[in-house]
Amino acid sequence: MLSKFDYYKPVSLEKATEYLNENSETKILAGGTDLLISLQKNKERCKHILDIKAIPELNRFTYTEGRGYFIGAAITVNQISEEKLLREKYPAISQGADALGSYQVRNRATMVGNICNASPGADLAAPLLVYDAKVHIASSEGIRATDLCDFFTGVKKTILKPKDLVIGISIPDVERGDRSVYLRKSRIKGADLCNVAIALRINPENKLSIALGAVSTIPMRLFELERKIAERELTPELGDWLAAEIKTYINPRRDSIRSSPEYRYLITGVLAKRGLLKLIDKEGA
Amino acid sequence: MCDHEVKTNCFEYIDSQMPPVPLELNVNGESIYELIDPAMTLLDFLRVSLKLFGTKEGCREGECGACTVIMNGRAVPSCLILAIEAQGADIITVEGLSKNGELSILQQEFIKEDGLQCGFCTPGMLMSAKALLDRNPNPTVDEVKEAIAGNLCRCTGYKSIINAILSAAKREREALSNG
Ligand code: FES
Ligand code: FES
Repeated sequence: MLSKFDYYKPVSLEKATEYLNENSETKILAGGTDLLISLQKNKERCKHILDIKAIPELNRFTYTEGRGYFIGAAITVNQISEEKLLREKYPAISQGADALGSYQVRNRATMVGNICNASPGADLAAPLLVYDAKVHIASSEGIRATDLCDFFTGVKKTILKPKDLVIGISIPDVERGDRSVYLRKSRIKGADLCNVAIALRINPENKLSIALGAVSTIPMRLFELERKIAERELTPELGDWLAAEIKTYINPRRDSIRSSPEYRYLITGVLAKRGLLKLIDKEGA
Repeated sequence: MCDHEVKTNCFEYIDSQMPPVPLELNVNGESIYELIDPAMTLLDFLRVSLKLFGTKEGCREGECGACTVIMNGRAVPSCLILAIEAQGADIITVEGLSKNGELSILQQEFIKEDGLQCGFCTPGMLMSAKALLDRNPNPTVDEVKEAIAGNLCRCTGYKSIINAILSAAKREREALSNG
């Protein structure tokens, strides 16, 4: 590793934002499952490492009736997988957590890290998008919140500025009868990145939300498609229409080593239909 | 550290020359205090500083599982953790499995079921399997597969490894109920 860095692990949010303000070339370390790879391969360099795992606010993992979940930036993917109430209320999020990396990696990787790295195929992005998640960001100027759907700006790019620190992600509460599913296609069954990822959610008013991963430069929520769906009835027959229609919303890379765009167009349709049928309680696809 | 741009140095640890930092932790039941390079990974600390060569380096990118150790009860890839992040932690490596010269039940079952050939993946497999059995003494085949999905084996084939873990689980449960 060519980086020469020192290591700082503050125990308060104030100290962390202050440090970021004063030290450029700082990398924020949470789980480290992406950062340690790019540092050791010299893809990234830094002079300082800011370990955020000892900051109390970032270790918050709470549910409040009517307000939903707050998941701090130090919470690991396996902690999310193991949370029973979250699995009951937000199945797609737990399924996304189960699908990320390998068991060992999930013991270190964090949900917020997965989002901040902004890989187009980030497993937790699509599930969080269908739940209207918000990202809470601290800097020396104070704390602000932004909708996750406005957070990603490109491959591995977000709206975050160098002095920003994400504290956590909040997910609004859901009502009884709300259901969701996360489906993904990868080359092998075990630990592997995905070719296509889709999260679908139906709320008690029968409104369908859809988000996709790995088929464009950013994970995206398909608001326009959702509006078109809202004009139709949620029946099993809608599955074929959806499978065809959803393809017009994606833009898979030509040069991906994992699969051709043609394959991704096809699979996106297949998974969309399968997900819809799962949610409206019909087997098949 | 294996510097991928300086291939000749692959087996040598290159110190970053940053001021050393104090690290205190527990490895296989032994308290350890050392001054370390802040850029050193936990994997390098175990192998280079402590000369515990059981933990293997395969990919250094979290893909192969050869470097798996148990940190505060959880299986983790030691190649993606800075040693300094293990401040105050309890670490178990493959060297910590046997007691008084006797192999653990899990290790014995790996031998009995032919769960290894070259043995390179074995320390990582054992640590993933131990972490699984510690949290779930009666795992299904699918749960075993999930627990070792991040451990790659180039020679044995996974079937005998899965069998070894399942029969170790059985023996451990029996030992507990007879115990
Ligand atoms: S060496 Fe750590 S996972 Fe391969
Ligand atoms: S026994 Fe050789 S890699 Fe598994």
